[in-house]
Amino acid sequence: MILTRLRGDPGETPGGVGSGDYARNTRKLAAALFVALVLVGVFQAITPGVFRHYFVDVVMTRSLLFGVAAASIVFLSAFGGMISLAQTLMYGVCAFTVGNAVTTGGSKGLNLGWNPWVGVALGIGVTTALGFVMGLIASRSSGLYYLMITLAYGVIGFYFFGQVTVLSGFGGVNQVRAPAFIGEPTDATNPERLFFTVLVVSVVVYLLLRYVSRTPFGLALQGVRDDPVRMNSLGFNVAMHRTWAFTLAAFIASLGGVLYVWEQRAISPTTISLVGILNLLIMAIIGGVLVLEGAWLGAFIYIALENYVRNVVFLNNWIEEARFRTLAGAIVLVLVLACPDGVVGLRKVRGAVTLSLIGAAVWGTVGGLQEGDRGAIAGVIVGAVAGIGAAGLVGWLAGHRDTARGVWSRLLATGRPGQVPARN
Amino acid sequence: MRTVRKNSTWLRLSVAAMALALLAAACASDTGAEDADAALSAAQSARGEASTALADAAAAAAAADAALAAAEAAQAAADLAQATAEGNEAAVAAAEQALAEAQSAAEDARSQAAAAEQEAAQAREAAAAAEAQAAEAAAAPPPEPPPPPPPAAAEPTTSIKLAILSDCEGAFGAFHDRDIAGVVTAFAEHAGATVNDRTAPQAGFSNASINGVAIELVGIGCADDTAEAALRETRRLMEDIGAEIMIGPLSGDESIAVANYAKDHPHQTFVNGTSGAQDSTMAVRAPNFFRFNGDGAQWNAGLGDIAHNVLGWETAAVIGDDYSFAWTSTAGFIAEFCAAGGDVISRVYPPLNTTDYSGFVEQLPGVDEVDGYFWAVGGAGLVPALNAFEDAKGEIVGQQHMGNLFWGIPDVFRAIGPRVEGSYSGGFGNAPDLQTDKAAEFRAIINSHFDEIPFGGAPAPADAAYFDAFFMNYYNNAWGLIEGLKAIGADLSGGHEPLWEAISNVTLDAAFGEISLDSNRTAIQDQYVGRIYIDDAGEMQSSTVAFVPQVDQTFGGTFTGDPPPSRDFPPCEVRDLPWIGNATPVVDGVLQN
Repeated sequence: MILTRLRGDPGETPGGVGSGDYARNTRKLAAALFVALVLVGVFQAITPGVFRHYFVDVVMTRSLLFGVAAASIVFLSAFGGMISLAQTLMYGVCAFTVGNAVTTGGSKGLNLGWNPWVGVALGIGVTTALGFVMGLIASRSSGLYYLMITLAYGVIGFYFFGQVTVLSGFGGVNQVRAPAFIGEPTDATNPERLFFTVLVVSVVVYLLLRYVSRTPFGLALQGVRDDPVRMNSLGFNVAMHRTWAFTLAAFIASLGGVLYVWEQRAISPTTISLVGILNLLIMAIIGGVLVLEGAWLGAFIYIALENYVRNVVFLNNWIEEARFRTLAGAIVLVLVLACPDGVVGLRKVRGAVTLSLIGAAVWGTVGGLQEGDRGAIAGVIVGAVAGIGAAGLVGWLAGHRDTARGVWSRLLATGRPGQVPARN
Repeated sequence: MRTVRKNSTWLRLSVAAMALALLAAACASDTGAEDADAALSAAQSARGEASTALADAAAAAAAADAALAAAEAAQAAADLAQATAEGNEAAVAAAEQALAEAQSAAEDARSQAAAAEQEAAQAREAAAAAEAQAAEAAAAPPPEPPPPPPPAAAEPTTSIKLAILSDCEGAFGAFHDRDIAGVVTAFAEHAGATVNDRTAPQAGFSNASINGVAIELVGIGCADDTAEAALRETRRLMEDIGAEIMIGPLSGDESIAVANYAKDHPHQTFVNGTSGAQDSTMAVRAPNFFRFNGDGAQWNAGLGDIAHNVLGWETAAVIGDDYSFAWTSTAGFIAEFCAAGGDVISRVYPPLNTTDYSGFVEQLPGVDEVDGYFWAVGGAGLVPALNAFEDAKGEIVGQQHMGNLFWGIPDVFRAIGPRVEGSYSGGFGNAPDLQTDKAAEFRAIINSHFDEIPFGGAPAPADAAYFDAFFMNYYNNAWGLIEGLKAIGADLSGGHEPLWEAISNVTLDAAFGEISLDSNRTAIQDQYVGRIYIDDAGEMQSSTVAFVPQVDQTFGGTFTGDPPPSRDFPPCEVRDLPWIGNATPVVDGVLQN
């Protein structure tokens, strides 16, 4: 009940995802984000040293490429109503295929030594085909059962690549070459080229998924999401719509896999283990599983915190390296309680925009003063989430329209329905 | 309307505050530029450097193109030769054409490279001029001129940034503090460092210096025995924090990933932590990855001989984790047991971190179908695996089982109970019960620098680390690095190659025998076999019973790295191993030679 009240937003118009002020605003946000990213990348390329290389080369690049993979989850969830846990497997399958095809020896796997582009084509082809088959099998289930089937795919994939030592084994495939235009990791310009490649792919994926959502197929898919029985009776083939959506998501995830293996130059089964599956899901949830942009935002928040968790001021005295997941878990918890649509849905929570900006400014400033730029980045993220949480809490308290005493009595009465005051 | 205006005010305020935050960050990170002149000259020289770097990069790229084209030409020539040999006329014509094309491409690329090189030279001149100008501009008005920007390589090294990578999570997370303590102790003992906290190794060390060059511990990485995490942490330590040298990682698959990373980053140096996969050095062969400890196979030297010639096993079954370290570990046992004349009739490899081993032990032959079992199940898996074995096959008898280093860990064999009394365990390159001066000295060194070294997050006496080869291997690896740095006066100004050369030539007079490096930069090291017994107080203990001197990674010529150890490599073959029948017995910690 609390959550429904928090989600009330005067600006929201009916019509679900992809329409109304809410959608327009997030779209503006996404456009601004992409422009900012392009600027950061260009800036770094022409004036080395202004931004910390690592921030662009690793944090941003990884955020964008995991964003591509997470976008496949968000696409299925937002437009098809399917929560898939198989997307990590999909990018893994593609990465392993590329790895086996292009490595030339001194590594586990087939070491076929093919041209990197042949590897890419093969990886995307194999993954998309696999996506079709798996989508077909899973297409007649929904909800929890869909979740379980796709989870089973993921776990099978992990053990498959771990056990089949011809293809990988648990040690993984190393020394995977990227095409010549990205170059070797010893090239000074390699990280920037990779960054721009990942950025371009991200934009293309975003535009493609938006386009698809407006095609007759995309509209029918949203119909399937909202009422499969009615769509079926109208003559739409529900199972095939789900299958094709899953296939498209597999294709998108495979792009993420290609980028991952270019960036990491290695892939091992632990990357697609249960932990990897959950990581991708957490990215999607933090960003918001109902809006495409959320995928990249969530990935950025996750990856940035993973890298800068040691620089979160106020918390770094008791959060050490090993406790990163504790922090990520706390953030997910705050968002699920205060802002279930993820960070991109913060406009739906009254006051969340303001409070998160204040939180980000304060925490970011203190972080910047104490820990430098790493502390500022970490502070902005944690402060923003704290602001959203605070807005959720304030909204919940204010929702009672009580005096302070009334709020306290209500807080104390929580869990004892008989004593809840009548005034609400 | 009103709401919108109110919101936008807030928005503006918040944006202003954000800008403040960024400004603060910029201030915090930018402490160098204090006055306008210095800033100006810095900016000018930075611009000059940037253009030089860009031109250099262009030249390098062109040179790379030329090399590529040349390689293509060579390939085309090879094709031509092959086609001629095969007498295929069409192929000959095609190959000839390809050769001509590749040659002209190579020519083009070469001329481009030359042009780019020229451009780079011009840019360098321009940069030098800009630098001079900047220095002049800065020097003229104020009485104290700011120091001119340092030329790229000639500046002598004043400090070296060091990072440690270990596991704080996963199967070996409990050893995190001991791993770090190993490195800290080595720097305290051999590089004059001060231990920052005698009960908390993670506090690191300070004031380490070699030949006046400060060694700074800039970061401690936290992985979880997966290649993914090891690589992520390595990148953070090397690329974000900017470490130049890293000590680590801990486990097999991690070290393969790190060695591959090392290969791609030839301007950095990596020294292993305690990982023991064969591939990391023998297959990957990164010129900048060093390992002052043996691999899993070396550590098992002496076991196969004992199994066949002392316990009288004719047949054996092998069970180990399904990853690089355990494959290496079982490879050592299999190679030696078969060399001595035994036969391995079953090999079972459950995935790492399996919790229910019943399905896997079921695949092993029964207790009356095989003479003995060799266990290379590690970490937290061994006790559940043995319990599953008892449920499926019947009682465990000490004489019928032996294991690798995990079998010899007191916590593990005490959990299994007295029924494994008399069983043998593989070594870890250490023998804590050895009665030698050097062993005693090593023990004293640990206790002189630490009061407590936590284990598994809980306080534990520092002395306990003496029995732990995780500590010892991190210590020896750090020590090897220090000796290498000493040999070059810790001067990295000419790149890291001299350091690699120096480390390759280091010989450590270590606590349990001399350690030197082979041509693949892995240790040639003395090995010890342990045996579990019950002491007078009824407590289970392990004692060293055999000694095999100076085992190298080829394991007496058995391994070449290609193929690497795997589920079915090495095959079971009789061969000659120098130490079979020649291991030195050890009684009460004294070598009997």
